Amino acid sequence: MTMSPALRKLALTTHVIAAVGWLGAVAAFLPLAVAGMVSQDPENVRAVYLAMDLIGRVALVPLSLAATLTGAVSSLGTTWGLFKHYWVIAKIVLTVPATVLLLVNMQPVSQIAALAAKRTLSSADLGGLKTLLVTHSAGAVLVLLVVTAVSYYKPRGMTRSGWREQYEERTA
Amino acid sequence: MVNWRQIARSRPTAANEEDHPMANVPSYPGTPRWVIAFAIIVAVPAVVFIVHNLAGWGLRGHMH
Repeated sequence: MTMSPALRKLALTTHVIAAVGWLGAVAAFLPLAVAGMVSQDPENVRAVYLAMDLIGRVALVPLSLAATLTGAVSSLGTTWGLFKHYWVIAKIVLTVPATVLLLVNMQPVSQIAALAAKRTLSSADLGGLKTLLVTHSAGAVLVLLVVTAVSYYKPRGMTRSGWREQYEERTA
Repeated sequence: MVNWRQIARSRPTAANEEDHPMANVPSYPGTPRWVIAFAIIVAVPAVVFIVHNLAGWGLRGHMH
């Protein structure tokens, strides 16, 4: 089903807003993760993990889901399709597993925040977890930058099924 | 509906070359180089990292 131009623009605008918001939320999450890793002040560490949980629940998770969903709607409602062009597949391959990992990781972040809400949390309490939060956040920023670049450059290349489908449409 | 798999397997002979459904189909150009480079440099490491983390249930596996 191909959407009308007005609907297509609405879907694309929604997708861009959600995707940009997702990138912005991750960009805010990363410095907090770094601050949580390097800060020696227990009050700072406490505040950082409370803020990370809030950003995660209020911005990261809803925006990542919205971006994935609106992206799928935009693809299916236009001639791009989900599996016709390599650049669309490249986005799916990166964003869907990243969203799943984010959802899985939000629970430990919330647990840390719950702990931080009850008592002062020192950097040493979290062990290697604080470093992992930094690497995961940095990885997410990189993935989203690559996805953004792919979206704007839209490198050429159709998949075999997309190629056949296009031929069928032209000869129909 | 055209059965592409069956058509792809069959080969046009001299007698039916012009009537063969695949006779005028432009050949599939193949996978672009950027896709292969992207897979090696970005997609495979990223997916391996993510799957590895998911296998250990993400950060939860590092909680004490």
